[in-house]
Amino acid sequence: MTETGATTAPTTGEPAPSRLTARELTLAYEDRTVVDGLDLDVPQGAVTVVVGPNACGKSTLLRALGRLLRPRNGAVFLDGADLARIPTKQIARSLGLLPQTPVAPEAITVADLVARGRQPHQHWWQQWSAQDERAVTEAMERTDVAELAERAVDELSGGQRQRVWIAMALAQETDLLLLDEPTTYLDIAHQVEVLDLVRQLNHERGRTVVAVLHDLNQAARYADHLVAMRAGRILAEGPPAEVVTAELVHEVFGLEAVVIPDPVTGSPLVVPGRPWAGAGA
Amino acid sequence: MTAPGTREAVAAPAPRPATGHRPAGYAVVGTRRVSFLLHRRAAVVAVLLAVLLAAVCLAYLCVGEDFVAPSDVLDVVLGRPSSQELVVGTLRLPRMAVGLLVGAAFGVAGGLIQTVARNPLASPDIIGVTQGAGALTVGAMTLGVTSYAVLPYLSVVGGLLAAGLVYVFAWRGGLHATRFVLIGIGFAVALRSVIQLFLTKGDYLVAQQAQVWMTGSLNGRGWAEAAPLGWALLALLPAVLWAARAQRTVSMDDDTATALGVRLGRTRLGLVALGVVLASMATGAAGPVDFVALLAPQIARRLTRTAQIPLLCSALLGAAIVVGGDLLARKLFAPTELPVGVLTAAVGAPYLIWLIIRGHRTRTRTAGRGRAAGPRSRASRAAGGEA
Repeated sequence: MTETGATTAPTTGEPAPSRLTARELTLAYEDRTVVDGLDLDVPQGAVTVVVGPNACGKSTLLRALGRLLRPRNGAVFLDGADLARIPTKQIARSLGLLPQTPVAPEAITVADLVARGRQPHQHWWQQWSAQDERAVTEAMERTDVAELAERAVDELSGGQRQRVWIAMALAQETDLLLLDEPTTYLDIAHQVEVLDLVRQLNHERGRTVVAVLHDLNQAARYADHLVAMRAGRILAEGPPAEVVTAELVHEVFGLEAVVIPDPVTGSPLVVPGRPWAGAGA
Repeated sequence: MTAPGTREAVAAPAPRPATGHRPAGYAVVGTRRVSFLLHRRAAVVAVLLAVLLAAVCLAYLCVGEDFVAPSDVLDVVLGRPSSQELVVGTLRLPRMAVGLLVGAAFGVAGGLIQTVARNPLASPDIIGVTQGAGALTVGAMTLGVTSYAVLPYLSVVGGLLAAGLVYVFAWRGGLHATRFVLIGIGFAVALRSVIQLFLTKGDYLVAQQAQVWMTGSLNGRGWAEAAPLGWALLALLPAVLWAARAQRTVSMDDDTATALGVRLGRTRLGLVALGVVLASMATGAAGPVDFVALLAPQIARRLTRTAQIPLLCSALLGAAIVVGGDLLARKLFAPTELPVGVLTAAVGAPYLIWLIIRGHRTRTRTAGRGRAAGPRSRASRAAGGEA
């Protein structure tokens, strides 16, 4: 799993039609408009990463894509149908979402929490099937939390807990997976681990992933499709190699920076600083 | 997966279990088409509690002004002719039936409301439901309505009204659990004074009768209260079964629950409404037996160690508390009969204080843990900020 990154993007031939799209999306909290008239086609089978400065509306956009927030205007479409008109349980069978700060019930065990990811596939008369068992086992092994199965989620470290939550989202077995800042609260090793896992999922299962990340370099390294937002609008989108330039970094973040190739993956690497100031200045 | 850095607690690649992962501690009961998850420990606890409850009931029927031998009690319960028909069959058994049903109803009601509010303090007797039921009932009593055929229904109406008002006042673009509890406590206090007003304004005899009712007593209760309550609980059983399942997802945070396909608003409203109806009906039958709805679910959860409140265990425990409490209240200060509500309050109040102190401690402790502090303080997010 060392050759992660944009270089291994599984994009060949003409792209598959997008299953998740937003049209003229306007999102607001009470009277404050956060996202204004936004259009987005989430590329099928790719990792899309949304970046932007704080309060640019990237998490709000993700919440709307996952029907956690009702659009003030416009709509999000899943397979061409307005998300607001599809029963929420039906959405949950194709679209999984991991919020930024999920809360586990007190004293719940790891295996119990991961098993709740199967909720949209269950009925009151069918609370556990062989399918459920396979999905949960797979999700737990993939995220390396099988050994923690009997432990209480409360007792785990931040990195372990995040892997458990991802396992729950995986157990849902949706083709589309939305992740809201999945690396928050994690140290760099665990950040890389989580992002590698996301890449791997996309690579081996062809899952479509949309993630909000605040680290531009991680975004450039792990995304097939990068969406740069500022003040509720998309300023640029496309492959990181095309999108991430010194001009764009300045435009989006207001930061002077040099963009050089990542020594490991060759993806763009943003180094803050005035280009002419030189090292040590 | 060769991630750099050490990984906690995942040392050497331990041998993977050959079987798949079920939710830890659950057994799967059923066939391929129909299957139910059964929490093993909760099942064992339920059986033990049922045995305990049976023992308490037997003691209740035996012990009293005169001791009745267990064999005579069994004769009466099984409908065989017995010389103790009057004492056991006419006096003690109906009163015990009311206690059983009231306790079970409070146990389930407390569990449901605590689950939705995600707060052990949010039991119907704290957030104004039983006070609402009480206010309307006592009000009706002082106005001359004394028929026990009418009062229980007024109780339900009063409880629903109070809960509805709390719900409306706590609603601000969404239901925030803490606000719901605080506004409920405010309503409870206000409604208590309304009850006091009725008591002081009303006729002396009626006020005295209402006063006893208000402390929660099984004194003088019998089949007239037990029968309608029993039928109503039976009718609500399917709803309770639904609730037991729905609790699983409502105990997650709002975003996660929605992402898992739960219609959160409706589910919550359904659970609260069911809890309010149960608590109001119980209040209508025996008055507000304080703290049963608070205690039973929390103790039951600690016994079963489940992630959510086990409703069956909570019902059994609630019934045991009320029946056992009434037995003690009858016997402890004999010949004076204490209302059972006084006894449950005496036990429950210290527990409530302990709960608040402990809750405060754990909150200050987790606040220091960075990660844990975020998820627990949902206020900012509920208030609607871009996260």
